[in-house]
Amino acid sequence: MTTFTASAVDSGKETRGQRRTGRPVTGVGRPGFAWAAPAAVFFGLFALVPLLLVVVLSFTRWNGLGSPEFASLKNWTKLFDDPVMVKSLWLSLLLTVLGVAVQTPISILLGVWAAGRQRNRAVLSAIYFVPLLLSVTAVAVLWRAVLDPNFGVPSQAKWLFGDGNLFGAQTSALGVLVFVSTWQFTPLHTLLYQGAARAVPQVLYQAAQIDGAGRVRQFFHITLPQLRNTIVTSTILMVVGGLTTFDTVLILTQGGPGTDTTNSAYYMYQKAFKSFDFGMASAIALLLVLVASLVSLVMVRLSGYDKMRSTMEGV
Amino acid sequence: MKRHAQLLRTAVVGGASLAMTLSLAACAGSGGSAGGDSDTIHVLVYGDATNKVEKRLVDTFNKTSKVKAVLDTVPGADYQSKLQTIISGKQAPDVFFNWGGGSIKPYVDAGMLTPLDDFIAKNPKLESEFLPSVFNTAVVDGKPYGVPMRGTQPVLLFSNQKVLKDAGVTAPRTWEELLAAVKTLKAKGVTPIALGGGDKWPTQMWFQYVYDRVAGPELFKKAAKGDKDVWASADSKKALGMLRELIDAGAFGTNYDSVKFTDGGSPALLATGKAGFELMGSWEYSTLQDAYPDFVKSDLGYSAFPTVEGGKGDPGNIAGNPNNFYSVLKSTKHPEAVAEFLKLMYSDAFVKDQLSVGNLPTTTNTAKFLDQSASPEYSKYQYDLVKKAPAFQLSWDQAFPPAATTTLYQAVQQFFNGQMDTDAFIAAMQRLPAA
Repeated sequence: MTTFTASAVDSGKETRGQRRTGRPVTGVGRPGFAWAAPAAVFFGLFALVPLLLVVVLSFTRWNGLGSPEFASLKNWTKLFDDPVMVKSLWLSLLLTVLGVAVQTPISILLGVWAAGRQRNRAVLSAIYFVPLLLSVTAVAVLWRAVLDPNFGVPSQAKWLFGDGNLFGAQTSALGVLVFVSTWQFTPLHTLLYQGAARAVPQVLYQAAQIDGAGRVRQFFHITLPQLRNTIVTSTILMVVGGLTTFDTVLILTQGGPGTDTTNSAYYMYQKAFKSFDFGMASAIALLLVLVASLVSLVMVRLSGYDKMRSTMEGV
Repeated sequence: MKRHAQLLRTAVVGGASLAMTLSLAACAGSGGSAGGDSDTIHVLVYGDATNKVEKRLVDTFNKTSKVKAVLDTVPGADYQSKLQTIISGKQAPDVFFNWGGGSIKPYVDAGMLTPLDDFIAKNPKLESEFLPSVFNTAVVDGKPYGVPMRGTQPVLLFSNQKVLKDAGVTAPRTWEELLAAVKTLKAKGVTPIALGGGDKWPTQMWFQYVYDRVAGPELFKKAAKGDKDVWASADSKKALGMLRELIDAGAFGTNYDSVKFTDGGSPALLATGKAGFELMGSWEYSTLQDAYPDFVKSDLGYSAFPTVEGGKGDPGNIAGNPNNFYSVLKSTKHPEAVAEFLKLMYSDAFVKDQLSVGNLPTTTNTAKFLDQSASPEYSKYQYDLVKKAPAFQLSWDQAFPPAATTTLYQAVQQFFNGQMDTDAFIAAMQRLPAA
C-alpha cells in the first residue's frame, strides 16, 4: 500500500512539472489511433461479434437444441407485454439509483479522508480495501449467512430486525442488495477519490487558508469541484455495475420473494439458463445494452464530461 | 435464413463447446480430445460425492469391454445448463444422467434420444430388474428413455423427537393431527415446521403431497400433459385451501422465505430444536448425519406424509425423485457397448456400492443387501415405502419442462407468503408450458 501511494504522489508531481515546462495541452502529444488497434481488435472480437450474434438470436426461437427458428419480432412483442420485464427494468434502475445515492457520498468522504498522509490513515485505508479483494460470490454467501434470521445477527438483534425476514419482503430484500453492493464496491470508488483528492494542488488549499476558509468551505469550494471528473467516472462505473448487478441477486435473493428483486440481468439469466429460451434472453440482453448505453450517454452529456475540461485550468 | 441460422448455431455451439471441453478436461481429468477417439463412450454425470461409485462402475466395465467408458462430471448446480449446451454439439456424451420426466422431454422432442425398446427386447432384465413405479418415470410418450442409475429419493416428514416429546406431540398420521401438532408446537414457542423457502423447491414439496393426497396422482399427470382445467377443479381448490389453513396456523413461522435448505439453514432449525418438523427428500438423512451426527443417532424421526380424510389419493403414495436415470443419445457410435454398460445398473456390485454411500437403489435385488447399508433401519423403511407405493410422483419442478420451472417456483413462493391468492395461483399454473 505504501509504495502505491508514494508513486501516486510522485506521478502527480511529474504532471505538474511537465506542464510548467510548457508542454502544449492541445492534444498534439496524445497517442494516435494506431495505439488503440490491439484494444480495438479485442473489442471487436469479444464485444461486437457476440453482440451481433445476440442481435440475430433475439429474432429467433431457440432452446439450445437443434437450429434456431426465425421468429421475427415475437420475442420483442412478448418482451414489452411481459409485466415481469417492465418490473425488472424498474428494479434495475432503482437498484442503480440507490447504489449511486448511497455509495457516492460515502466514497467521496472516505476517499478525501484517506488522501491525508498520516500513518494511521494508510493502515485504515488498507483495511477498507479488503472487501474489494473478495469475490462477489464469497461476499454474497458471507452476508447471506450473517443475515440468517435464526442463526445470524437478526436472531440476536430482534429490536432492529424483528422476525428477521429480510429476504421475504421487497423493501428489505432490496435494502440488503444495496447494502451488500455498497459494502463491496465502496472501496473501489474510495480508491478513485483518494487518488483524485491527492492530485488536487496544495496551493489551492494554502491560498484558501490565507483567505480564512475553514475545512468545510475548503471541501465544498476546492475539493469537490476538483473531483468533478472523478465523480463522473465513478458514477458511470456505478451505473453500469448497478444495471448489470447479477451475482448478488443470484446468491442473496434469487429474484425473490416472487419477482420482487428480479432485475433485468437476473431475468435474462433465468430466461436463458433456467427456461432455456435463448431468443427471449437475447432480447432482454439487448434491451439492457440499450438502456445502459442511453443512461451513460445522457450522463456524459449532462456532466460535460465529453468536453474533457481539465480541473487544472487556472492553476 | 436457414443457412444463416446454421452459421449462427455453429458459432454459438462452437463457442460453448470449446468452453465445455476446457472445463470438462479440467474437472474430469479425462484428458485428450473427447470427440476424437472412436473406441470410447462418454458417460456424463452430475458431479457430487456419489461419483466415486460411478467411477468404480466405469472401471469394472472397462476391465472386460473393448470399448472403454470415460466418466465426465459437471459440478451440481450447473449440470442442467451445461448438458443442454453440449448435447447438440460435438462434445455430446453417449450416456447421460437425468431426472426422467420433463427433464428429458425436450431432448426426446428434438429426436436426440434412443428409445430403449430395442435394448429391452434383447435383454428384458433392463426393465424387469427395476421397481416399476420408478422405471416408469423415464417413460416419455409411451416409450422408455432411461435406466435407473442411483438411489431413490422419496420426500419424508422428518422430525425432532425431543421437541415433539417435550410438547407431548406424536408424529402425525392424519392432516388433522398435523394441524393439532402445529398449534401445540407453536404454543410452546418453537417453529412447528422448518421450511427453506428461499430455495423455493422445498416449498413446492408441500404442494405436490397435498395435491396427491386430495386429488390422487391423476390430477398432476393431466396438468403436466397440458390440461389446464384441472388447476381450477374443486380438488385443486380444496388442496390450496388446506395449504392456506396450514400456513395461516403459523406452521412455518414468518421468516421461512429468508431460510434456505442449500446453505444448511432449515436442517439446522430441525437439528437444534428450533423446529419440530421438516418435509424433505430422503437426502436429509445424510445431510444431517454430516452436520449433526449426534442428533441423527438420538432424536431424528421420520414418517410418511399424513393422510387426508376423504382424499382421493392412496395414503401410500409418495412424491419426490423416484431415481436418477441414464439416457442414451442416438448419436452414439457404440449402442452395443452402451447396452452392456447399462446392464451394470442392476448388478449386485452396483447395489452394494450405492448402499455403502447411503443411496437406496431401486432394483428388485436391493432388498437382499439392505443389511449392508449405512443405516439399515432407515434404508428398509424407505425401501418398503417405495416398493409398496401405488404411485411415485416425480417432483413438480422436474416433471414440467425447464421452461416452466421459474414460473412454478415464483407461484409457490407467492402463494405461501400471501402475495398470490388461490385464483391468482390457479391462473399462474394455467400459464405453465406443458410437457
